[in-house]
Amino acid sequence: MLLLAGLTVFGMFAAPAPADAATLPAGHAAPAAEGDVAVKVRVQNQVLDAATGKTKKEPIAGAKVQVLGADGALIGEGVTDDKGLTTIPVPAKADYTVKLDESSLPDGFVLEGTADRQVLEAGFVTSNVTVNYFTGQAERATIGWWSQFAQRLADGARFGLVLAMCSVGLSLIFGTTGLTNFAHGEMVTFGAMTAYILNIDLGLHLLLAAPIAILAGGLFGVAFDGIVFGPLRRRKIGLVSQMVVTVGLAIILKNAFLWQLGGRVKQFGNFNNQTCTELGPVCITPRDLTTSAISLVILIAVAFALQRTRLGKATRAVSDNPDLASSTGIDSQKIIRIVWILGGMLAATGGIFRGLDEGVSPTMGADLLFLMFAGITLGGLGSAFGALVGGFVIGLFVEVTTLGIPIFPGEDWPDPFNWIHNGVPSELKNMPAYLIMIVVLLVRPQGILGRRERVG
Amino acid sequence: MFAGILDLPFNDILTQTLSAFFGVNAMYFAIAAIGLNVQFGYAGLLNFGQAGFMACGAYAAGMTAHYFDISFWWGIPIAVLYAVVFGLIMGIPTLRLRADYLAIVTIALAEVIRLLVRSVTFKKYFNGSDGINGFADTFRRVTPFDDSTRYKLYPFDASNGTTGTVLLLLLFAGMAVLLGRVLLQRFGREGTNRTTFWAVASILTFGLLLVISTYVEYGGQSFKAIVVGWTLAALFGIFVFMLMRSPWGRVLKGIREDEEAVRSLGKSVYSYKMQALIIGGVIATFSGMMLSLDRGSVQPDNYSRDVTFYVLTALVLGGAAKVSGSIVGPMLFWGILSFADVFLNSLFKEWGNQIGIFGWKFVSNSSQVGMIVQGLIGLMLVLLMVFRPQGLFGNRKEMALDGR
Repeated sequence: MLLLAGLTVFGMFAAPAPADAATLPAGHAAPAAEGDVAVKVRVQNQVLDAATGKTKKEPIAGAKVQVLGADGALIGEGVTDDKGLTTIPVPAKADYTVKLDESSLPDGFVLEGTADRQVLEAGFVTSNVTVNYFTGQAERATIGWWSQFAQRLADGARFGLVLAMCSVGLSLIFGTTGLTNFAHGEMVTFGAMTAYILNIDLGLHLLLAAPIAILAGGLFGVAFDGIVFGPLRRRKIGLVSQMVVTVGLAIILKNAFLWQLGGRVKQFGNFNNQTCTELGPVCITPRDLTTSAISLVILIAVAFALQRTRLGKATRAVSDNPDLASSTGIDSQKIIRIVWILGGMLAATGGIFRGLDEGVSPTMGADLLFLMFAGITLGGLGSAFGALVGGFVIGLFVEVTTLGIPIFPGEDWPDPFNWIHNGVPSELKNMPAYLIMIVVLLVRPQGILGRRERVG
Repeated sequence: MFAGILDLPFNDILTQTLSAFFGVNAMYFAIAAIGLNVQFGYAGLLNFGQAGFMACGAYAAGMTAHYFDISFWWGIPIAVLYAVVFGLIMGIPTLRLRADYLAIVTIALAEVIRLLVRSVTFKKYFNGSDGINGFADTFRRVTPFDDSTRYKLYPFDASNGTTGTVLLLLLFAGMAVLLGRVLLQRFGREGTNRTTFWAVASILTFGLLLVISTYVEYGGQSFKAIVVGWTLAALFGIFVFMLMRSPWGRVLKGIREDEEAVRSLGKSVYSYKMQALIIGGVIATFSGMMLSLDRGSVQPDNYSRDVTFYVLTALVLGGAAKVSGSIVGPMLFWGILSFADVFLNSLFKEWGNQIGIFGWKFVSNSSQVGMIVQGLIGLMLVLLMVFRPQGLFGNRKEMALDGR
């Protein structure tokens, strides 16, 4: 009995149990049945045009599709027309499963991805939802290395922008207060979680939920400073103790997220199931293109503000030397507060963008924390520009290294020596980033843009 | 509604709390905390990668059966080797730099270890997320306890047998010494009669074991790990206690207080820090090994970064820079944790999901109780660091660490 008791207690250490049964909150009642609520299904074939190297989409007619209810009962069926489209009316906005009968595809066409797709109630922004299926011809030529490389480069740049945005706050807070914030990952999660709650539980459109969540992230940041770290600084508690306090906060926050939202990965209600569009050699969804553009604009704005505005100059002055900055009349406490607000807002934005890409989960931010550390170590601890550059480079590097270099020998060499030829396995794709971190600390601990005296 | 509080299973709560004091969890936490104490308490090194060292020990033991296919006992030197190599990898890039670099690199490298051992790519060596089984038989055969019998901590209990009695008496002596020292520190004055303290400590320990033994029995399998593990903890505790009174230990504490001063005396700060990191890591490696021997299996997710943080909380609770703190801290930590877990779970069973407002439920399934308890650990760490950084037994001056 006692052994059992010990085991149950220990069970808490296991990975978060995906125990929450409720997929959608009960308060989000289905609207009255409308006649025109429907699930649209589009089936297309992607063909690589040998002449231009671009992928073209052609509709596939005659594919059989079924829509099943949440309990597995058949709701409706359809066959795609010559535009590759079929519209299956459903009684109400609710959760459905869409099934494509793979045997109904023309010979030689192979479905990419799964045949069963989930449609969530929250996905019905208008009265209908479109589900896209793509096929490729089985004998289709494999995509060339260069176009794969371009695609990874694009994905990596996208991830790098998000990572850079998350890292800036971490690095600025370190620069102005000397504190390494191990709860910064939770600030990222907080943004995504808040947006998720506003979006799904309260039914706001993500375009409205995201700005509110970003503001909440700023408030969250300033609350960190006002409630915890400001008083600790005034009491002259050592930096190592403060660092341990951030660890405690990270534990509290992570479990608070788990407690309220469960361990499962969740999706926002808007901008799902988008088809990627051709952009030169790469394929990118309008959503990802937009988030990348916004990230880029935000990062440039932050860099510009740090370089040119009074406030930015004051921030850099406090980072350089807090005492000297104070003696020249800069209110360093105010600057620190602003840095926490900015850091919180940037982290929340990064979290929302990451959540759009990979889903929202209680550990999404903590999982990024190590990559952020790698980024700011590479860029130089405490330098905001370093964090921008370092975060971007690390994000890019992590994606690109999953693609091997085929002209390099060693296909059959034992792991990890074959990774140069074959690419880093995706389960270990963060390893190159950690390797960079160690190498940077060995050869140039101040990072590419940091200054020597911070190293200690 | 509050009438139900009388229906709570107080006997279960008491039994589980008491058993947690000396249970397997407290045991392996204590060994890990003794190691962390060398690094964090005495040398001021913020090692956030203790779980990595623990995984070294567990996987050294597991790999003897899974990959090397050799006798289990080779696991011990292999574990030490792993810990030394891991410590060097952590220390070489960071120990010359400021404290936060070590924290960042150790936490990241411990995560690297966890990702590597649970990966499909290296399944050949570490068996991926399935973990490794079937290496603990040798250990179980050697220890003088029987799997099917239930045992008590009271040394003269009939079921323990001669060897068991001797081992438990040794443990009893260790506990009495620990308690006596704690009492001396608290209440001792100049010229106090020490014999009185040792006598009081012995009687208290004996009484404590007797009380615990009336409520608590351990199954044979975990009793093996408990007795051997606590013996190891006692040995490591004595080792660290003597080490810190030696000139080497004084230099180490000097480094924590003022690195420049020690450097000006011609000591190599880097080398001392590295030695402290590796000694602490080698001790912690046995923590992971004892855990895996108790479970009979090695699971990669038992060595997540949360484990490091919980060990740190347990150490800070007891008091860093004190051997007694690193042993009593984990015992109290698990006592509190088990109490909170059992208490909240029975509260949840009693009242279900009645607590809440406007349709929002405080707790709507039992897994949420575990999250609340873990959140409380974080809260405990924050409150301790802010209001009582010296923990229960520590010295506040010794915990005034700064950012270097």
